[in-house]
Amino acid sequence: MSTRRRQPSRMQQAVDFPLDWLEERSGLVGGVKYFLFRKVPADTNWMQTLGSATLTAFLVQTVTGVILAMYYQPTPNDAYASIVNITDHVTLGWLVRGMHKWGASVFIILMFLHMGRVFLFGAYKYPRELNWVLGVLLLVMGMAEGFTGYLLPWDQTAYWASVVGINLNGTAPFLGPWLAQFLRGGQDIGAETLARFYSLHMLVIPGAIFALIGLHLYLVIRLGVTSPPWSKEAAGADRADEPSQLREGLTRPAARGAGESE
Amino acid sequence: MAAGKPSAVDERRAQFARYKQDVKARGKSFYPFAMFEDTVMSLVVVTVIVALAAVWKWTAWAPHHLGTHQGLLGPEYTAPADPGTTNFVPRPDWYFYFLFYLLRIFKWPETVFLGTVGVPTIALILLIALPFYDVRRERRLSRRPVAVVGLVLTILSMAILTWKGATASEALASEVIADVPNWISAEKLPPAAVPGAKLFAVAGCTACHTYLGTGSSNLGAPDLTTIGTRNLGIAFQIRHLQCPSCVNPGSPMPKFASLGTTRLHELAVFLEASKGKK
Ligand code: HEC
Ligand code: HEM
Repeated sequence: MSTRRRQPSRMQQAVDFPLDWLEERSGLVGGVKYFLFRKVPADTNWMQTLGSATLTAFLVQTVTGVILAMYYQPTPNDAYASIVNITDHVTLGWLVRGMHKWGASVFIILMFLHMGRVFLFGAYKYPRELNWVLGVLLLVMGMAEGFTGYLLPWDQTAYWASVVGINLNGTAPFLGPWLAQFLRGGQDIGAETLARFYSLHMLVIPGAIFALIGLHLYLVIRLGVTSPPWSKEAAGADRADEPSQLREGLTRPAARGAGESE
Repeated sequence: MAAGKPSAVDERRAQFARYKQDVKARGKSFYPFAMFEDTVMSLVVVTVIVALAAVWKWTAWAPHHLGTHQGLLGPEYTAPADPGTTNFVPRPDWYFYFLFYLLRIFKWPETVFLGTVGVPTIALILLIALPFYDVRRERRLSRRPVAVVGLVLTILSMAILTWKGATASEALASEVIADVPNWISAEKLPPAAVPGAKLFAVAGCTACHTYLGTGSSNLGAPDLTTIGTRNLGIAFQIRHLQCPSCVNPGSPMPKFASLGTTRLHELAVFLEASKGKK
């Protein structure tokens, strides 16, 4: 191989060098390239953006939540005052808290819409069953995040909704009383409860959600996303040129005759 | 397995192999095509969130510089939490309304369990297990009648439950307290029972209990119009109010220990004096 390409420009070298360095030591560049340039079915549509939209909403919650945590005080004496301070005095505090508060609802709505799209597409079927299960766990975790976050402003709404919510958990058989006791952190709702909800809300549940999203996206990339089932070019659709032995089971002759052009 | 019809497992494996081939042969690159749509959608999402935050702030706080003002999207915050005065109707965030309302359907004590745990648990199991009982390969909606019916029924019932939960009216403390004089005359309550009656009206008891037709019954809480005829005793009433589930295991009634012994005693006197219409 004596012929060499033209010497790359300085500019090109300046970009390539760190990338090659990183690639040689981690393989990350190849990974990102694989992620970006992987093939997806040609007929994916707008409904299939709902998953990444949900991810965006979750990231908004993460960023705004981290900022709120810098100003919020998780004790019954100070929680309310710190919320008032964030909302009415800290520069743009209202925006951060407002985005966190309303972002939570948007996140939940998007999760339901995304789940609806997966259902409509029948995208939970083989081989994507596990991703559906991970999705339902994400839904439950998302709602738990809403439940634990609701107490934190420590106003009347927050307090009484949580009193009833915790007591409802307590009515479940076997685990119920234990769970209610655990959430409360004692006989009454007070400092212990607030500390527990805070820790669950900003460490435990978001951690679980991050891990679940990681697994979820790993499976999305590994298995690929489904084509809309009504698409004429749906990837993986039954074909006429299939070996007859396989085709027998794959298609119903009657349905086939009725207008499905191939 | 050489000849004959391929098994369902073979079929779906073959189909997935075909899917991979098709994507490879005629698919589009994720970047920039799919990613463009994803980015647009994400920008829409962030814009909507910012807009909601702005409407919330500028309709609640801006008019009077008062965070508790009820704007278009609700107040910034309500009064500080006060475990002592319970005159507050407990209401969860909107995405729990369906659960909240489910509880009201199961009013009778023996069935509360169904509303709080039974139905939601079954629904959750059905949801998780969906890919394991719907195992046909078919993905086209027109060939999945059962799935379509199930979807429509689910959306309808969730929408109705959420709507009912959102519009369910609880008696407000101010309305209940107006009824106290009627209680006193109808039940011929002694003067000692009057402070307890007022407390009962504002302490949120009527969110679950009815008394002479006032309040709404929830979570299987009994009507308390004639609770005094059971002669449970002041001591029992106080113990029950302090920790309902310690006295009646599994009781979903909240603990009211935070009201303090004086007020609990007043409540107990009122309850014991309530012997029905005279
Ligand atoms: C969140 C709903 C809820 C609220 C609020 C509530 N209760 Fe109850 N209450 C119940 C339920 C459910 C029961 C039945 C289970 C039990 O006996 O604990 C009950 C039972 C009772 C009983 C009958 C106890 C027995 O042994 O038969 C009394 C008396 C009572 N409540 C008084 C009150 C008073 C007074 C208040 C307000 C300070 C109040 N409740 C607030 C749900 C509630
Ligand atoms: C935090 C919440 C969630 C995030 C961030 C998320 C993210 C994603 C993304 C980015 C995709 C790629 C395709 C698409 O966008 O449609 C996807 C696919 C998928 N999601 Fe989710 N998701 C979440 C919750 C859920 C829920 C609640 C379910 C269902 C119960 C679910 C089930 C699935 C399934 C089965 C796929 C594969 C779809 C296909 O192959 O066409 N996910 N998810």
